[in-house]
Amino acid sequence: MKFFTPFRKKSPWILHYNAGSCNGCDIEILAALGPKFDLERFGVINTGNPKQSDIFLVTGPVTYRSRERLVELYTQIPEPKVVVAVGSCTTTGGVFRGMYNVEDGIDRYIPVDVYIPGCASSPQLIIDALVKAGEILESKSKAIEKPFKLFGAIETIGNKLSRLNMAKKVHDDED
Amino acid sequence: MTWIWIVLAPLLGGLIYGGERVLRARMQRRQGPPLLQPFYDMFKLLDKRTLILHAPHALLAVAHFFVLWFTVAAIFLGWNLIYIIFLHLFAQILLILAGYSVRSVYSHLGANRELLMVVAYEPVLILVAVGFYLISGSFEITTILQGDGYWHQLPLLFVALLIIVPIKVKKSPFDIGEAHQEIVGGIEIEYSGVFYEFLYMSRFLEYLFIYSFVFLFGGESYWLGAVLVAGVFLLVNLVDNATARVHAADMVKIVYGFAMSFAIINILGVLL
Repeated sequence: MKFFTPFRKKSPWILHYNAGSCNGCDIEILAALGPKFDLERFGVINTGNPKQSDIFLVTGPVTYRSRERLVELYTQIPEPKVVVAVGSCTTTGGVFRGMYNVEDGIDRYIPVDVYIPGCASSPQLIIDALVKAGEILESKSKAIEKPFKLFGAIETIGNKLSRLNMAKKVHDDED
Repeated sequence: MTWIWIVLAPLLGGLIYGGERVLRARMQRRQGPPLLQPFYDMFKLLDKRTLILHAPHALLAVAHFFVLWFTVAAIFLGWNLIYIIFLHLFAQILLILAGYSVRSVYSHLGANRELLMVVAYEPVLILVAVGFYLISGSFEITTILQGDGYWHQLPLLFVALLIIVPIKVKKSPFDIGEAHQEIVGGIEIEYSGVFYEFLYMSRFLEYLFIYSFVFLFGGESYWLGAVLVAGVFLLVNLVDNATARVHAADMVKIVYGFAMSFAIINILGVLL
């Protein structure tokens, strides 16, 4: 409904996932949530539960062990949702680019809305990115967004999942 | 007039919750969210896509909210205290059933802990009601509110109630049912969108429920009641900011060891 849309920006709840990061960006995120930078003044809560969050904060180049969970967490967040890639590794692969055990950034698995540079990215940049993410959240519709690739259990049941069927239906309606 | 208050009860609770978040932020030298933040969250949750596991699971959350609302309405209308305590127990049981009705491990853990909390605080609440009965001669809230203050006659019972307030409003050191970094909200974990909102709003009503017990200690002087509520509110938040979570079993030991014995000593003192 139109009336409720402006409130998305006022309470963006975040889910933070570490996809093989060195913990540098994670510490900066915690610093941004802490008393000095105080992200809670924008209504941000670190929920830790994908089903209740709006913004997906991902840190780290995607290691092979973490990509399955990354995609699964992404599918569990209800729409509207925004993905924020925090730090150089997550956006491009950073110093790990081209290595045998990592993927070069998360955007080959899930659609990313906001990229934050920096190694590690500063709390000020994270605050800026979350404000930007709030604006994007406001402009998004409730149409289902799919990851680019599926893994593991989700892949085996694949299209039998009702959510994916629903996605197909929404897509057909748009055509 | 009472009916207006009953209809507005969730809004009132939301304001208390928003004020509490600001207060906690100020205690940590932060700016904190705006006062109306709980309502922003509620409006946002209305606009989210909702994922439902199965219908009874979602429905039990709605039932929990409405039974709790009825309980708060019964308090405002001045009904029997024992009746109110058991209505509240019924609401908790609906929530616990919701926790057990899904196959998520965290949901089961949360339901187990919620049961432990009920086991811990329920006897103390009933003993508080018995204390009111011994002084005022009635379980009816309207009669209890005509007595001239229970503060001096039931001091240990008040301390017992003080110990169980953090359990009910899910604050440290007794926030074991929610335990955010540990079991990610417990029972709340499988809810999303509109149905999570009902659980979010029932938290506001829990505040009204437990603080109205504190208010009753003021008796006929509503000012004393308000001062007691404000004092307990500040103290609970101070303790919440200063302490860590205790182990689930230790919580039951602490409540049975201290709160129960304080309550029983006080009641024996009144009787003898």
